[in-house]
Amino acid sequence: MNTQSPKSRPAHPNAAPQKREFHARIQRWLVVVLAVAAIVLWALAYLRPWWQFYLFAPQYPNGLVLDISLTGLGGDFKEINMLNHYIGMKGLDEAAALERHLAVYGVGLVALMSAAFSLIVGRKWNWLLVVPGLLFPLGFVGDSVWWLYHFGHSLDRHAPLNIPMFTPQFLGWGKIGQFQTYAMPMLGFWLAIAALGTMIVAMILRYRLCHSCPLHDSCGATCPQKLVLGNVPYRVN
Amino acid sequence: MNAHDPTIHARGRRLLAAIVSVAALTAFGCQPPPKPGSAPAGGAPSANLGASASVKDLMAARGLSESDVESALKTYMPTGKKDDYLIFASGGQSGQVLVLGVPSMRLLKVIGVFTPEPWQGYGYGGESNKIIEMGKQDGRSITWADVHHPNLSETNGDYDGKFLFVNDKSNGRVAVVDLEDFNTKQIVVNTLVGSDHGGAFVDPNTNYVIETSQYPVPFGRKYAPLSEYKDKYRGLAMFWKFDRTKGRIDIANSWAIELPPYTQDLADCGKLPSDGWAFVNSFNTEMATGGTLQGKPPIESGASQNDMDYMHIINWKKAESLVKAGKAEDILGVKVLRMNVAADEGVLTLVGEPKSPHGADVTPDGTRVVVGGKLDTHTTVYSFAKMKALIDAKKYEGKDAYGIPILSFKDSIDGQCEIGLGPLHTVYDDKGFAYTSVFLESVVAKWSLKDLKVVEKIPVHYNIGHIMAAEGDTVSPDGKYVVAMNKMSIDRFNGVGPLYPQNFQLIDTTGEKMKILVDAPIGIGEPHYSQMIKADKLHPIKIYPPGTNIYTNSKDPNAVESGKERIEKRPDGTHVFMTAIRSHFTPDQFEVEEGEHVFIHITSLEQSEDQTHGFTINMHNIDLSLEPGKHENVDFIASKAGVYPMYCTEFCSALHLEMAGYMLVRPKGAPATIPVSSTVPGGPSTELPPVHSP
Repeated sequence: MNTQSPKSRPAHPNAAPQKREFHARIQRWLVVVLAVAAIVLWALAYLRPWWQFYLFAPQYPNGLVLDISLTGLGGDFKEINMLNHYIGMKGLDEAAALERHLAVYGVGLVALMSAAFSLIVGRKWNWLLVVPGLLFPLGFVGDSVWWLYHFGHSLDRHAPLNIPMFTPQFLGWGKIGQFQTYAMPMLGFWLAIAALGTMIVAMILRYRLCHSCPLHDSCGATCPQKLVLGNVPYRVN
Repeated sequence: MNAHDPTIHARGRRLLAAIVSVAALTAFGCQPPPKPGSAPAGGAPSANLGASASVKDLMAARGLSESDVESALKTYMPTGKKDDYLIFASGGQSGQVLVLGVPSMRLLKVIGVFTPEPWQGYGYGGESNKIIEMGKQDGRSITWADVHHPNLSETNGDYDGKFLFVNDKSNGRVAVVDLEDFNTKQIVVNTLVGSDHGGAFVDPNTNYVIETSQYPVPFGRKYAPLSEYKDKYRGLAMFWKFDRTKGRIDIANSWAIELPPYTQDLADCGKLPSDGWAFVNSFNTEMATGGTLQGKPPIESGASQNDMDYMHIINWKKAESLVKAGKAEDILGVKVLRMNVAADEGVLTLVGEPKSPHGADVTPDGTRVVVGGKLDTHTTVYSFAKMKALIDAKKYEGKDAYGIPILSFKDSIDGQCEIGLGPLHTVYDDKGFAYTSVFLESVVAKWSLKDLKVVEKIPVHYNIGHIMAAEGDTVSPDGKYVVAMNKMSIDRFNGVGPLYPQNFQLIDTTGEKMKILVDAPIGIGEPHYSQMIKADKLHPIKIYPPGTNIYTNSKDPNAVESGKERIEKRPDGTHVFMTAIRSHFTPDQFEVEEGEHVFIHITSLEQSEDQTHGFTINMHNIDLSLEPGKHENVDFIASKAGVYPMYCTEFCSALHLEMAGYMLVRPKGAPATIPVSSTVPGGPSTELPPVHSP
């Protein structure tokens, strides 16, 4: 339908050229702000627990809490380990040693990529900027479930209590022995999801900016317009 | 497609909406889940009460009056509900301190103090033995006590809930209980006196714990015939310096004042205007010593001839400065201010008090001292201001045989209250009333401090000794409750043989009339005094930091960590470094040679509330309590070859009975069968399940 050259794309008929350029500038800075916000959210997510297990039993009227963060366990994990030894389960803090070790690099990489993609990468590839942020929470969930499966299926058969192999419930209500368990995502996980959302908004803004870019069809892996920080004005007419 | 294509706006909006809903989920997801089985909020009123029996039917069936039901409603504690106040009561001859809740009057704890207490492993081989050994007199172990007067530490005249002090009348000792963990931490012995009674009272900021003697003896209990009673026998007011930061009595900075050989009785510290002063009553100013076989009157009548005895008025702040100025004499290692010095300096003054007095109780505002008279029908109300004015003006009525100035009784008192037969102790409420225990009449008399008139008397059951009110001896009594501590129960409880329980009666003082709410039988000893503190002033810990020696309040140098368990053979014997956690000891077997000295260092690795283990080795009189985090050291000689099971004595877990092991004592010269090593690789630990060989 569009017969005009990409370099002379029609401006919005209702907008004055100056106003449109002004909007474009705001959007360019918004992308920067959103990218920075995503980095901050990721930093906070790194510091906060991602998942929480509650264990209820009569002799624990306040329940036991297990906090899982990217770097380790919190809450009553020692007491839970102590209880788990009766069924021959390994200490939970033995799980995911490599993942916990690499978490800081992973989060750093995701954050850096968010910044890099939103600022440097050209139109064709900038959707990639949300992919790591999407994969990370998915990876966390998948990895955690795998470890729960692994621990529940490598019970020491010489333990005092011999129970069938099982996988602890990772979301919602479950039951182990006299314990009712409840698991749910925590602030860290939600912060990561929020960072992902932020990046999606940033991606949409980028998409719009690129559409008004004079180099719209000719850009490659990187943006020749020096992108949002560059001083080259977008064509507005 | 256009950059400003409305469809892009629409897509953006949808995405934003999605983000908003994620945020909403976040808020929801961070809420802790509801507890399983928890009742719906509000809780429906029980519908089946009337189905089985109505309240009226229940009352009829049990013969209860409406007043009984009212009392029940005021004291009944449904499960999980906690008491508003705690009583710390003397355990009498048991040598212990009792902790009861108010208003339920449930017994919460018996704190081992002077006497071994097996449940707490107190005095059965562990570190607590050292505390009980502190209580040795003349090199002799004394494992009982006549516990009399528990006193809570005070800050600005109010209970601060940090420490408790209690005296042993029989053996002249004072103990310090730390209310952080409710454990006895120190026993100090008075090496000069033969017994004490006026203890363990504290001044409004707990600088000192006061302990005055009862039956006079020559200092140090040295021999002197009774014919030399007046010359050689003496009374003593001991001022134990309390070091609050260490939580211990500082023996080196404690001192005493020599008193005449009148039988000093109860004591109390001044507060507010009278802070810096102490008041000690006495009886037997006749200085009778009995001699019934020689035809002399017994002490009971010999000591009751004079119409007046003496209250001792002590300016302890001044005495303290005199001691600091070096005016005290060293008597058997104790700094003692001689009574002639004390009398000359205005530190010690006497004032008459009616026959056979008892109790010396300073009013909450610190302006008056109330003294009962066992053989007098009054309580006498002394004015501190009047006494102080007389002392300042050196206006004395005369001097006693020891040269101690005596104030005019008439000029020292505000008046007397006609109470009844045998008034003993007096406590106070927040509305200007005093409550006096009246022993012979078996009543509690409520009277007004304003006009010194009795308002009401209530019968108690029976023979009330001490009386106690909620925070009743502080600068701000709470009112609400009075407890009558009755010496006899006669017909109140089921028969349990000729030794009857004592009877605490909780009295509600909030209404127009006093009312007995409930009886609490005390079946462990004859309690004397007690104190009642608001429960929220106490902040006891729930667990110890790992490896805590509870007597040094620090990590024990021999504390054992998970994975560092070992058996070390050393020149002094075999050291077993052991841990305890559900449901195993590590190591759970060790072997020593007959006659060897065995040292067991055992740490509870638990950090969970109420998860206590016990530890015993059979036939060795060893019994330890291992609360979470606690460390104990125990040593003994394995004197007889044989096999000795050891096990956990608290039902700690489902596999409690399996929490056991063996000590083998091999005959001399027999080959070892269990290896000894200082580097035994870690067994089961907190983090790891036990390693089992297949």
